[in-house]
Amino acid sequence: MKSPLVRVALYAFTVWAVLTFNFAVPRLMPGDPLAYLYDQESAFYLPDEGLRSRLAAYYGLDRPPLQQYVHYLRNVLTGNFGWSVRFNLPVSELIASRLPWTLLLTVPSLVLATAITVVAGTEAAWRRGTVTDYALVVGFTLIRTMPVFFLGILAVLIFAVHLRLFPLSGAITPFRTWASPLEQALDILHHWALPAAVLTVESVGARLLLMRNSVVLVLAEPYIQTARAKGLGELAIRYRHAVPNAVLPLVTTFSAQLGMAVAGTVFVETVFAYPGMGLLLFQAVSARDYPVLEAGFLILSAGVLLGNLLADLAYGRLDPRVKRP
Amino acid sequence: MNRPAADTTGRPLARSQRPVAGGPRLPRPGLAGAGLAILLGFGLLAASAPLVAPYDPGAYSGEPLARPSRAHPLGTNDVGHDILSELIYGARVSLMVGLVAGGLTTALAAAVGTAAGYLRGWSDAVLMRIIDFLMAIPHLPLMLLLAAYAGPSLLNVILVIVLLGWMVPARVVRAQTLVVRGEAYVEAARALGAGPLAIMGRHILPGLGPILVSVFVAQAARAVSLEAGLAFLGLGDPTLKSWGLMLRQALSYRGIYFTPHWLWWLLPPGLCVSLLVLGITLIGVGLEGRLDPRLRRGGKEANG
Repeated sequence: MKSPLVRVALYAFTVWAVLTFNFAVPRLMPGDPLAYLYDQESAFYLPDEGLRSRLAAYYGLDRPPLQQYVHYLRNVLTGNFGWSVRFNLPVSELIASRLPWTLLLTVPSLVLATAITVVAGTEAAWRRGTVTDYALVVGFTLIRTMPVFFLGILAVLIFAVHLRLFPLSGAITPFRTWASPLEQALDILHHWALPAAVLTVESVGARLLLMRNSVVLVLAEPYIQTARAKGLGELAIRYRHAVPNAVLPLVTTFSAQLGMAVAGTVFVETVFAYPGMGLLLFQAVSARDYPVLEAGFLILSAGVLLGNLLADLAYGRLDPRVKRP
Repeated sequence: MNRPAADTTGRPLARSQRPVAGGPRLPRPGLAGAGLAILLGFGLLAASAPLVAPYDPGAYSGEPLARPSRAHPLGTNDVGHDILSELIYGARVSLMVGLVAGGLTTALAAAVGTAAGYLRGWSDAVLMRIIDFLMAIPHLPLMLLLAAYAGPSLLNVILVIVLLGWMVPARVVRAQTLVVRGEAYVEAARALGAGPLAIMGRHILPGLGPILVSVFVAQAARAVSLEAGLAFLGLGDPTLKSWGLMLRQALSYRGIYFTPHWLWWLLPPGLCVSLLVLGITLIGVGLEGRLDPRLRRGGKEANG
């Protein structure tokens, strides 16, 4: 096992690589970041040459690449992500108002999905070959074949439009004043439930089979037989002896899971018009709002890397075999 | 042997507490057959689209927002395009992307995986670090960024899908290459003076066949789903009728949920994507047992 310090350093290196990558992408693409202003075919064509060179100077594009790079790093480190073309606001301000909603959506649904995956996977493995097992496996496999935005659309149609249990879209009721903070929290919860449920179901579908198969393998181990021979109860065998050993594949795929949650949140926020980072990216795409797209990629990458680092550091504690000092 | 369809590990399995007494069974050949039937169905539709589709999918074909009728079995959209024709032509886009992007991803994964696994040393180390880097960052925001810069076209969508899809399969190919390169026939080829390219191309790649087939199937399913997603987000070619674009257009029609139009405008493209992905996935599940070398060798490996 590498020491925590080395691992933190590795993550810092990856963050630097992401930053550099983000700097390079617009400059490696044909033309330069302002190419759409020079292109006579483009809708944004700027005929005035003086204005074009002033813009290039404003963005520092007339300076040597290394100078641009230093300038870029300094900007990012001071939280200056430029100006959004679509919203006409500083990008950092936009992100500050959108990021909390995304965290509210993704973090609880990831936690909930992990808990459901562990329990459902264990129960399916325990009842291997029974109707419960097949129902869980087949059900979630079917759900997995649906694109998450279609799952979201179906959820809206069933639970919001026809059963009228939840609001159609948004994160709060617009233009409403609340009598108390509790009422406001309830309103937020009411809007949150459906998109969070869709993200959760999607995330369970991605890992249920992995967990189930892992538990099936662990149940064949001799120590399970020992536990049974000792006369332990069924619940203790499953959750004290099998699960801690079977849960490792979930931990090692956590990184991919975080990335999937980010993708999921882009689609789910788009379907539900939920005002988080995902909807922001969606709006930025249709307006070709490059500063927002770049900053969104940076922030979400940093978030995923931070989550990975935490999972990495927790791994030693979770794996019963690496408990030795 | 009564092995549940979902169990793909191929190692000795635990005996369940409750015996399987007459529980339902999922026959694998049946699954692959069903998947193949779905795929062939869409393939036939796509191939004969100009003959089967009642209208040109991009042309005004009648009154906008028409309800289903004899002339328009699934009605028309808000600009008067025939929805059934759009659906039929959409199969072409999805199948093409699945085939091309799935194939290119597999080829890239095969090239990187065999090179890393056979050459070892620093090229292996560099390739693995690149994979680690690409795996550690969230893909969708990067896809949005790349696709936005590259411009909306089907080719760019395919390239973006390929560029961010090869990493996991490359690792799988590399692991299998490490196994194959130790085989006696590879040693023999090396002793006879064969160069690395010849060994990789003629001796290692054929040994990877089964793995590459299952990688291709999995990547084709991923590509179909992703293309729909990217088109839904507005990154596809806006003139090319794909299922993702249809969903986007239907959803951007205000109040679609409160008119009956969702039934024939919103649901069919979503169901088509899901059904096609399901078909490809079923083929993958069906093939797994037959193609995965670990499964063919049965429990030997796990006991060692």
